[in-house]
Amino acid sequence: MRLFSKWELIAVGAAVLLMLVVLPCLNAFTLESSWLHVSNFTITVYGKYLCYAMLAISVDLLWGYTGLLSLGQALFFALGGYMLGMYLMRMIGDLGQYHQPIPDFLVFLGWSTLPAFWKPFGSFPFAMFMAVLLPGTLAGIFGYLAFRSRIRGVYFSILTQALTYAACLLFFRNSLLLGGNNGFTDFKFILGHDTREPATQRGLFIVTGIALLLVYLVCKWLTTTKFGKVQRAIRDSENRVMFSGYSTANFKLFIFVLASVIASLAGVLYVPQVGIINPSEMAPDKSLEAVVWVAVGGRGTLIGPILGAFAVNAMKSWATRAYPDMWLIFLGTMFILVTVFMPKGIVGLPAQLRDVYKKLTARKMKVEPAPVAANGEEPLPAKSE
Amino acid sequence: MKKHLMKCLAAMSAAVMVSSHASAQDTVKIGILHSLSGTMAISETSLRDVLLYAFDEINGAGGIKVGDKSYKIEPVIVDGASNWPLFAEKAKQLLEEDKVAVTFGCWTSVSRKSVLPVFEKDNGMLFYPVQYEGEELSKNIFYTAEAVNQQATPAVDYLLKAGKKKFYLIGTDYVYPQTTDLILYKYLLLHGIPAENIGGGFRKDDSGKVISAGKYVPFGHTDFQQIVADIKQFAASGDACVLNTINGDSNVPFFKEIAAAGLTAADCPVVSFSLAEDELRALPTKDLVGELGCWTYFMSINSPANKAFLKSWNAWLKTQTHPGVVKEKRAVDSPMVLSYDGVYLWKAAVEKAGSFDVDKVSAVLEGGVVFDGPGGKVTMQKNHHVTKDVFIGETKANGQFKILETFPQVYGEPFMLKDLDAKLAAK
Amino acid sequence: MGGGKNPRPFLKMHRTLKFLFSLLCGIFSVLAVQAQDAAIREKLSHAILAEGAEQPKLVGELSDTGSKIVREVLVAWTRDNVFLYDADTVKIPVLLEDQTDADGKARAIRIDNGKFLLDDKKQELRFAPTELTSADTDAALRTVIQQTLDSLALADPDPDARENAVLKLGNSKKLKNIPVLQARLAKENDLTVRRNINEAIAMLQLGDPDPKVQVAALQQLAALKSIGSLDMVKSLAESKTAAPEIVKAAKLSAETIGEHIAAVNFFGTIFRGLSLGSILLVVTLGLAITFGLMGIINMAHGEMIAVGAYTTYVVQNLFGSGFAFSINLPFSFFGHPLGFGLHLPGMNSTGWFYETYFIFALPLSFLMAALAGLALERSVIRFLYRRPLESLLATWGVSLVMQQLFRMVFGANNVQVSSPRWLQGHFTLNDVLLGYNRVFVIGFAVLIVIGTWMLLTKTPLGLLIRAVMQNRDMASCMGVRTARVNMMTFAFGSGLAGLAGAFLSQIGNVGPSLGQSYIVDSFMTVVVGGVGSIVGTVYAAVGIGTSDQVLQQVTGSPVTGKIVVLVCIILFLQWKPGGLFSIRSRSLD
Repeated sequence: MRLFSKWELIAVGAAVLLMLVVLPCLNAFTLESSWLHVSNFTITVYGKYLCYAMLAISVDLLWGYTGLLSLGQALFFALGGYMLGMYLMRMIGDLGQYHQPIPDFLVFLGWSTLPAFWKPFGSFPFAMFMAVLLPGTLAGIFGYLAFRSRIRGVYFSILTQALTYAACLLFFRNSLLLGGNNGFTDFKFILGHDTREPATQRGLFIVTGIALLLVYLVCKWLTTTKFGKVQRAIRDSENRVMFSGYSTANFKLFIFVLASVIASLAGVLYVPQVGIINPSEMAPDKSLEAVVWVAVGGRGTLIGPILGAFAVNAMKSWATRAYPDMWLIFLGTMFILVTVFMPKGIVGLPAQLRDVYKKLTARKMKVEPAPVAANGEEPLPAKSE
Repeated sequence: MKKHLMKCLAAMSAAVMVSSHASAQDTVKIGILHSLSGTMAISETSLRDVLLYAFDEINGAGGIKVGDKSYKIEPVIVDGASNWPLFAEKAKQLLEEDKVAVTFGCWTSVSRKSVLPVFEKDNGMLFYPVQYEGEELSKNIFYTAEAVNQQATPAVDYLLKAGKKKFYLIGTDYVYPQTTDLILYKYLLLHGIPAENIGGGFRKDDSGKVISAGKYVPFGHTDFQQIVADIKQFAASGDACVLNTINGDSNVPFFKEIAAAGLTAADCPVVSFSLAEDELRALPTKDLVGELGCWTYFMSINSPANKAFLKSWNAWLKTQTHPGVVKEKRAVDSPMVLSYDGVYLWKAAVEKAGSFDVDKVSAVLEGGVVFDGPGGKVTMQKNHHVTKDVFIGETKANGQFKILETFPQVYGEPFMLKDLDAKLAAK
Repeated sequence: MGGGKNPRPFLKMHRTLKFLFSLLCGIFSVLAVQAQDAAIREKLSHAILAEGAEQPKLVGELSDTGSKIVREVLVAWTRDNVFLYDADTVKIPVLLEDQTDADGKARAIRIDNGKFLLDDKKQELRFAPTELTSADTDAALRTVIQQTLDSLALADPDPDARENAVLKLGNSKKLKNIPVLQARLAKENDLTVRRNINEAIAMLQLGDPDPKVQVAALQQLAALKSIGSLDMVKSLAESKTAAPEIVKAAKLSAETIGEHIAAVNFFGTIFRGLSLGSILLVVTLGLAITFGLMGIINMAHGEMIAVGAYTTYVVQNLFGSGFAFSINLPFSFFGHPLGFGLHLPGMNSTGWFYETYFIFALPLSFLMAALAGLALERSVIRFLYRRPLESLLATWGVSLVMQQLFRMVFGANNVQVSSPRWLQGHFTLNDVLLGYNRVFVIGFAVLIVIGTWMLLTKTPLGLLIRAVMQNRDMASCMGVRTARVNMMTFAFGSGLAGLAGAFLSQIGNVGPSLGQSYIVDSFMTVVVGGVGSIVGTVYAAVGIGTSDQVLQQVTGSPVTGKIVVLVCIILFLQWKPGGLFSIRSRSLD
């Protein structure tokens, strides 16, 4: 089966070209005064959006494709960030405020030697390994318990929210020795490169772009396989799938773990680019935000989450500067309008407009109008109860 | 279909990338980096207001004179939205896109820690106005804030002198309270208070060394029944007081619980380090008469400079049309005045240096710029902290502080822990 | 706004009562004037005008007068209510009458002779408090005043005041206070006060040079289960210089008292758990309706709570000095900045009438939140009944918008809501502290639950609500106007949230993000109780509240307690995925 249509291939190719080649080149090889120049600031901001896009894909994989609305994806995102953050903290070496071989916050918490669990994080491969293992294991255990006892719908959402809330409170505690509220910041080196150098940031940007592309391709492939079909069948009617002899719990568990690892990788790439990780990244409303990106972009597609993450965050970046006092009102209103009137998000907009157009032309021709799904009453699978 | 989307994406990217570079002649851009939404908006919005006031005042008086030219200030306000990575992003934007000459901003330590690498990397300049735990010194940050020895330890000195023998430590679980309480714990030991008279509990590391003292609640905690009951038992034997480093919001339920439990300032005073006039507006001050505060400015300071400042500030508020500036029932407090002082310290340094260049201005500032502010004389020190008067005050029913004691011209010392450890060891 | 709609009847009643009240005040002040003791008054005014070290001494001398006037004036003094009138050459200390005229001015009573202050033409002078300078006090002086008041308080008619005074003397560690206390003991009839006097005497006797007296005192303290003496007893138990029999007795006493403290903590924890549970219940009940019954994942629930809290704030201000706000918009119209404002005049009421503001605030909070809910349902929610998971996003948007609106109208700061006197204070039951507001919330929760239950089961509307919530389509087929019932139900649920807000304003802060602190907990409670079951919500709220307090006590840290509760909830739902009371149904999707 073909993964892409011709047009899709062109569109994705163009986006890849723009993100992976054009922007970095414009950043690296043009003069700062030139109108073509892409500033370092733009590169880091876009890099951040790319990470958010990965997070959004992981939410969509669960929500749009499997019908599991997880309100805890930010937890896995932040866990990934923390794992790499620990590596980055170790890389600071003795360049901190106190010029001690251990991170600053440990010094003023009264530690003079490195706690045991910090030691292996001096190694990058270990940190990466943990960034996959820890979120994966947590998702595995949580998912196993939840799916085994057939928790679904709203219950699943609230439960994941409880999980991320508990973790958030835990990480806020200074006694966890992960920096408490301040988290990790003031990074210096990643793999021997200075994290604050434009070249490093550009490199990270490209790596993030490639990672997003890979995640996109893997998910695209996954959703076209038989596995993907079962996945969507679970979303539409879990009981029927179960009665057909599939163990839906195992399917869901796999997706949940996969999504958590994707989110975690997004977090890994996010931290060196924004330069800070702290527990507020796993606060319940961060997960909600990610869900909103997916809703705005269009769920049940893979382009949707990427578009949504870019659109919402670009708007946020712009509005917090242009209307610092009103931007929440714009943003909130946008969420309401999108949810009520654009159930399929940006991706579904052309089809929606086409329907409206058809309706209008059909009226002109005095033919019975076809039923239209644009009024927001469209029966999508209701997953509660 | 996807093609359209990609086009959209590309168009959008382009739209975001094109940032305006329009700037009028003879203006200098100054960044304001505070949270105007989210949980910290509660405290930080007032700082935005006082900065706008300071800028208007300077512009009204002819602007900043550099050489034979005078520059008007053009504020660039951005919202950090109580979101720490966003603070870093906004700082980068201010420095790299807007190219501001100086930035005034941040409230929480974490926001400062988040922007610190950005300011160091781009060689920017940040003025930080809010009392903090110290243990930090960046060449790009000027701390007009109170260091621990300009707030917490003078308050303890005062309480020791008032004959208090038992001290209960309570705070929000983050770096400022943790560090301050650890310093206070050591400070109290040094002044002969036995560890069992320091309430709130301790945490020790494997070797038995105390690494954390006091009781800690999470951010936004609302239920203080248990803790107040604990304090009540602690204070039952008299001569007790509470050293409170609870942050912002949580103070309201804490004090309402204190009032409900009948703990009055006469029995067991609470001295709060994060509670100034601006926050007191939200508290039932009638029940809090006599609770203590320690800052380097009080609105009730009876000096001509302060009276003139308040008068002009109130007049400015009345005519304000900037969105989001609340006009009714406003108060002025120490972080606001320290922000204001910062603006004038910077202005004085720029005019002396004859340039907006960060390194040149820094050098002048480090040389000891002086400004006579509403809270008295402030002098920038070589270590980027500020020498200023410290006041102990007690709350009155009208939400103001009555000044009980003044410690004139206290030198700001950010690094206290090491020194205390050495003194304790010697003891 | 609601408060200004029909002010007349209130005002009328207000005036009549105020008249009666002032009449009473007048009678009392006349009596006070008659009972004057010229010498004492002279001494008092002398003390107020004195300076330096002499002042505390003079104040201290007032303690054996036992006079009511002294107490009155000293209390007023500490509250900055004693004023100094500058009469050319001398200063005259005065008090201002409670009763003020239209300009907020009151007659001044001279402290030195109890008469009204007159001007040259023998006319009574009137002042506003701001026109006069108040007589200053500082911490040291107030300590002396407090001591004086304590001695005076030993003879106070109010037993609570006597109790406090006794305890303070007990902590004074001055043996010379023992006879004072013993004298009082002989006259004292109140049992609690007698107990306290005994405790205080025993505490003082711990410092006695005679070991026998000390041992007896220790035994006495153990018998009295005196918490306040624990520190002293402990220090004796660990003392290396004290005689062995004292150390032994002290150890024994410390143990007994320690056991008592454990018991107090146990019962205190249960009470605090109940009160926290009740708060949780009050906060959650509205959500149990909008989310539990209607299936709307209402993230704006917290903001409905905030609407209630802000309504209370506005009502309070209307009873006080009025309420005003103004907003500037970031847009301009042909160069004119746009903005709007509102000013509601206040009633400037004082005294007990002001204290009743909360009673009016409760229904108004319900009303305002219900109206907000109504608007929300009509504009957004009605499109989303078939898409419950998406209602989460839309209502989250609503919540963001509302938070920012609060910020624009009321400012980003928290606003001040002060509790009426009758909700402040506490009483103790065998050393367990019971705050009035905590007791109130438990009663309040019970009332709301009963009210909701009655509405849902005993009224025609309740029948319709239950029918529509069970099966919207079927109910519609039977001729029920489901749209209206949906609207009413959502408004009712929001109204309950508003009530919660009115109460929360009494114990916590009122600010734009007030709702955010409760939203996660509320959802958790509904889910644990079982979505759709009001009874379940009640059990869950009380259960979560109590376990939170117990764990906080056990672990010694509020954060750890909360984390453990959350983990327990997650595990509990594995065991009972539908919550405590799940609705059984044979339907599949």
